[in-house]
Amino acid sequence: MVGAAGGSSALLKTSLALGLMPDEPYTGPVKVKPAAKGQKPTALILGAGLAGLSTALELERAGYDCTILEASFRPGGRNLTVRNGDKIDEMGNPQICQFDKQENLYFNCGPARIPGHHRRLLHYCKTLHVPLQIKANSSKMAYFQDDKSLGGKPKRIVEYHTDVRGLMSELLWKSADSNQFDQLLSKEDVAKLKRFSKTYGDLTENGKYIGSDRGGSTKDRMLDHPSPHAPIELKAMLDSSFWYGGLLGSETYDWAEPLMEPTGGMDNVIKAFLRNLKKQPVLNAQVKKIFNRDNGVEVTYEHGGQFHTVKADYCFNNIPAHFMAGIENNFSDTYQSGLNAIKRGHLFKIAYQMKERFWENDGIYGGISYSKDAIGQIWYPSHDIHAQKGILLGAYTWDEKSTKMFEALSQEERLKSGAVSGEKIHPGFSQYIENGITIPWSRMNHQMGCGLRMSHENFEKYYHMLQKPEGRHFMIGDQISHHTGWQEGALASSEQALQQLNKMLAANFNIGESNYVS
Amino acid sequence: MLAKRCLLLLVSGFFAFHLGAEEVPTPVGLEYCTVCHGAQLKGNENIQAPRLSGLSDWYLERQLLNFKGRIRGDHPDNITGGEMMLMARNLSDKEIKDIVAWVTATDSPKPLATIDADIKAGEVLYQTCSACHGPKAAGNKLLGAPNLSGLNDWYIFNQLNQFRLGMRGTHSSDSYGQQMRAVSGVITSEKDAANVAAFIHQLK
Repeated sequence: MVGAAGGSSALLKTSLALGLMPDEPYTGPVKVKPAAKGQKPTALILGAGLAGLSTALELERAGYDCTILEASFRPGGRNLTVRNGDKIDEMGNPQICQFDKQENLYFNCGPARIPGHHRRLLHYCKTLHVPLQIKANSSKMAYFQDDKSLGGKPKRIVEYHTDVRGLMSELLWKSADSNQFDQLLSKEDVAKLKRFSKTYGDLTENGKYIGSDRGGSTKDRMLDHPSPHAPIELKAMLDSSFWYGGLLGSETYDWAEPLMEPTGGMDNVIKAFLRNLKKQPVLNAQVKKIFNRDNGVEVTYEHGGQFHTVKADYCFNNIPAHFMAGIENNFSDTYQSGLNAIKRGHLFKIAYQMKERFWENDGIYGGISYSKDAIGQIWYPSHDIHAQKGILLGAYTWDEKSTKMFEALSQEERLKSGAVSGEKIHPGFSQYIENGITIPWSRMNHQMGCGLRMSHENFEKYYHMLQKPEGRHFMIGDQISHHTGWQEGALASSEQALQQLNKMLAANFNIGESNYVS
Repeated sequence: MLAKRCLLLLVSGFFAFHLGAEEVPTPVGLEYCTVCHGAQLKGNENIQAPRLSGLSDWYLERQLLNFKGRIRGDHPDNITGGEMMLMARNLSDKEIKDIVAWVTATDSPKPLATIDADIKAGEVLYQTCSACHGPKAAGNKLLGAPNLSGLNDWYIFNQLNQFRLGMRGTHSSDSYGQQMRAVSGVITSEKDAANVAAFIHQLK
């Protein structure tokens, strides 16, 4: 009715008033104030990670001349997809990826999934033409395994979920039955609550959980009545570790399904930015000095054994902040202290090329198994189902202790250690392994860390300061966001920096003009 | 202005001549070193990579060989030593010579103090150290004792603790390290180590 009478904007306003839509629908990246006619302001972008590339793209669109300096031999930062022959540049421990040369055999070493609410990244995927596909981030058929729980036997997630719901519903039924809610709920409400718990947990008529065919059957379900597996005991559930780990994994907001991934590898995002940039990044260019000057920023970098000094009107710095103490600069002590407060995060992954997609024979198509061992997780690819081979993620850990344990091992030892844990979930796991790679992000050349690690105190003290420019120097990257380790955080940091630039341009309009006409 | 700016970009290669004689470019192939140790090897506490400029060639060579031979950095609790050990394990003799020649040619500003400790108490403890490292901590080649002046105070602090706790200087092939571990017995606590580090740091 409202829509018919007042047009779509009336409908929108009413919907907003009713709280039906988010307050601020995403309308795309920040539009940088376009350069004045005949002017070509300059920007130096330090680091060709996602934040650097997106900043450069938006500045180029506004008429800026952007020079991107990248220390590594490759652009992309932690957005790294490896395929046959690719170099994995771990400090003192380089590897060449030995996956077969096949299109479907690749591994996303850094970011690997995109939820539907990461609007910034999805906007670029759409407008820069990066094809996406659904990535199954959870599988009820996958397992959790803990040496100290349920005799160390792997348990299907669907069985565990069903039992946990049944056991919790039984407790709810009992508390409703004993009138524990009579202060709050009427008799009818209590009856409803009992019905709810019965339905929610698949309880018997008298509120008992005795197992449920929602968790599968021990016999073939097509020709026989389902025969539910014996439920785990409440005590065993409480003693298991899964409920405070993987149980709720797929229910966190950033893992809200369905998730997506670019078809063919996450680095298609990077390639799309490069395709759309006028000027490609200068690779193997290590920054040595950053100096704020009166009307710009001066940066010295080394390239092929030679120093180069370049000046620009603005500088957007995507370099991991923990490197900044090793780069000469004239930042204020407070600003440098803020940069120093960002510590190296640890994150580690293993990927195996498996000669057969054995997990599919076990009913697993995509998703994650959870292990209490150091490997943490096993990810099954949901792309190229029923292909002969597949790349399996064999470890994914951000727990510092486990990560450091892996970091200290040789490549071969890491792969072996991961396989030992994989065997506990999939007996015979090792015999399928053809080769593998390992990625310790805190040991990767030019990264030496992953994610923002800052004490609570330092966060309060420095985080917002680092979001503001110092002179004409802006820090960017997921490190300057609340969403570290996510590409959306990197894009948000870039958006935020460009908003600051717009403010600066609006405030210093006259200064800016005189700068360009000198 | 635009023309000027373009010119500036074009001639930027010549800036190497204006950077001052002490600034040495990183030899091709050794760019890894400055990722952690910083521009002109000035050090980076965030990575726990110490300033290297100012160390003597003989000491640098010995330590690189020790790292390479798993003589230094192999203790499981010595995380940063272990990181450096991995970096050095594939270095050839020539590469080690090249690194030493380059490091000794670099110069960088002396690091600022990061440790606030009892310098007087450090001075008393340092009397033992002074026998080998000298009153100004300038080192003594004959005794194999390195220059400590110009090292980061946090690095001296960490190394003293590593010697004290047996994370460095316990390998049977590390005779100088063993000597150092033996005399580091005078340092009995983190506080002692901080005091000594603070004292060494303020020596001119």
